[in-house]
Amino acid sequence: MSRESILARVREALAVKTDSHVRHVSQQASTTLPVLANGPEGRAKAVREFLPFVGESFAERVAAFGMLSEKLQTEFICVADVETAHGELKRLAELNQWKRAGVHDHELLQNCTQNLGLELLATSSPYEVRDLAECDVGISGCDALIAQTASVLVTAHSAGGRALSVLPPHHVVLATADQMVATMADGYEILRRKHGDDWPSFMTFITGPSRTADIERVLVLGAHGPKKLSVILVGGTAGSWAGPRNTNQ
Amino acid sequence: MSQTRNPFTQFQTDATQVTADDDRRSFLRSSMRGYMNTRSATQGRFIDYESARIAAGEVKWEAIENLDVYLVQFADNLEARGTKVHWCDNSEQARETILGILKDHDAKTIIKSKCMTTEEIHLNDLLSQEGYEVVESDLGEFIVQLREEAPYHFVFPAMHLKKEEINRLFQEKLKSVSTSDPEALTMIAREVLREKYIQADVGISGANFGIAETGMISITENEGNARLTTALPKVHISLMGIEKVIPRIEDLALLLPMLATAGTGQHLTCYNSQLGGPRQPGETDGPDEMHVVLLDNHRTRLLADPEQRDALRCIRCGACLNVCPIFKNVGGHTYGTTYQGPIGSVITPHLRGLKNWKHLSHSSSLCGACTETCPVKIDLHHHLLRNRRNAAERGEGGLFERMLMKGFVFVMRRPWVYRAVGWTGKIAHFLSKPIHGTRLDPFYRWKKTRDLDDPAKQSFKQYWSSRK
Repeated sequence: MSRESILARVREALAVKTDSHVRHVSQQASTTLPVLANGPEGRAKAVREFLPFVGESFAERVAAFGMLSEKLQTEFICVADVETAHGELKRLAELNQWKRAGVHDHELLQNCTQNLGLELLATSSPYEVRDLAECDVGISGCDALIAQTASVLVTAHSAGGRALSVLPPHHVVLATADQMVATMADGYEILRRKHGDDWPSFMTFITGPSRTADIERVLVLGAHGPKKLSVILVGGTAGSWAGPRNTNQ
Repeated sequence: MSQTRNPFTQFQTDATQVTADDDRRSFLRSSMRGYMNTRSATQGRFIDYESARIAAGEVKWEAIENLDVYLVQFADNLEARGTKVHWCDNSEQARETILGILKDHDAKTIIKSKCMTTEEIHLNDLLSQEGYEVVESDLGEFIVQLREEAPYHFVFPAMHLKKEEINRLFQEKLKSVSTSDPEALTMIAREVLREKYIQADVGISGANFGIAETGMISITENEGNARLTTALPKVHISLMGIEKVIPRIEDLALLLPMLATAGTGQHLTCYNSQLGGPRQPGETDGPDEMHVVLLDNHRTRLLADPEQRDALRCIRCGACLNVCPIFKNVGGHTYGTTYQGPIGSVITPHLRGLKNWKHLSHSSSLCGACTETCPVKIDLHHHLLRNRRNAAERGEGGLFERMLMKGFVFVMRRPWVYRAVGWTGKIAHFLSKPIHGTRLDPFYRWKKTRDLDDPAKQSFKQYWSSRK
């Protein structure tokens, strides 16, 4: 086994300290950056203090999420309650002519996906990949919405496994107002509180529909993953974000 | 390396060819302009981009300077959750390991998501020889794989190709209908690859980061191909260099936006996934087995260099390529390396030997654009100088360089010889005028792309004494 030989070489190499000049070049000004002196917490603080600004209030976060969503071509819909969310799903189902939907065990989802007239495939129990591939849409929950990046944080637990949110051509996310947080670091904090050390085997930050620009740098949506991403924020009208629905239609 | 072309000769031949191709060069320049514009806009949204660079750089310093601790933690945490970790000294061991896993599972078809480390160990060649069907799923990689060539740029593998060329390629290899619309071409690839994910026995990916604290790998992508590669097949193998380990999961909240901003100008790429093992109890999909193959392949040699271990902090965003005047003019294939551009020129001599790869450190204008743009503040252009110095100190320049330097010293130490050489040069300059630009000129090779001005009427020495 090469474990010991590699580790021995690493230790031998590190026995010689990094050249102080080289170390200094990249460290310049760090003495004037107090957040870095605070170790791990300082790094999380750096995310808030150096990266793009995110406001403290819910309304500001919804606005930031909405603004970036527009750029990303994510459809961001704020609704007052579960009933309106159900109405929105019905509207989307008719507009996009969905027939089959992939779903999973999730309280909010159950209340919103009843009586949509869709054939449902649940991925909470073992399922056939080919059946999921035939679905027109995957509807899932999430763990957090990240205002700084307009990302949806999902795990194998909150989004019905690994494939539901990536295999069907349209992904719809249902989120609640308390899930709107400022930064990705806050997203990890939520997962820590929820799972402790027992992390799900899969988590991902979804930032817009799947995309590529590999051919002449022309943006194409739906490279391999979903061509469309819709985020429905239930209880989000407090932010009165009305922009994206008007611009995306 | 015995039968292939000498890397230096190959570099010179290819560089000459590419620099003469004005059409391709302006095509490359215009796509780089697009990158610069979006990136500038994204950087502008940061509260303090410069401080973010320092912070990101510090995370990677902490990781590299404590690599022994974090590597052990990373591997132990992965194993605790059922992932098999394989430690490989070199390319050969890594290839054998991966081949062994494929044989254990009696695998036939393999889907791959973008992974430069597999290019480094030439995995595809081996697997094809052994009779496996290997399909690259990243669109750019898929295209260069069909063309049977290496990626042009380690972030934008097919950036050198025009849509018409891709159309011809797809028509020939995929029997698709003729279209030069990038969206239609993308959809052709999507359809072809969709079936491959579902059929594949094994998925092979890379890793952008390894998180020591939680025992996870992190994969950054835009297309969703890496997600499908790691979700559908029964076995997932991830190949990563040992330098990819970082301390904590929260570090990603800083590093992922920096990687995206510097790499493509996006504020965050579409999917940033962390994978911490095969399917766990209570989960309904994901692979039955996960393998992480850790590769040294001379990275510890670079680590042992107290000056240049700095370069192990690289997060492979490709920003230094995008701003490099050399890359823009000679193109990616000219380098002849897995990692192109300034970072490739810095690390390749360590990974593959200074003797054969020192020329890369000379093909630089030392303008420092790479150092200025690096999101983790690697002192890139000075490392090019350090490679040059090391090559000279070890006498890697060969007899010619040594004789040249001896001659230089001889001339500079003797004022009368210096004057004589100066006069000879002047006379030779005027005598050679009629044959300038022809092969009769003994300095033809050097002068064919340069015009020499007439020497000044008065030398500096004469000017200086006249002022006294």
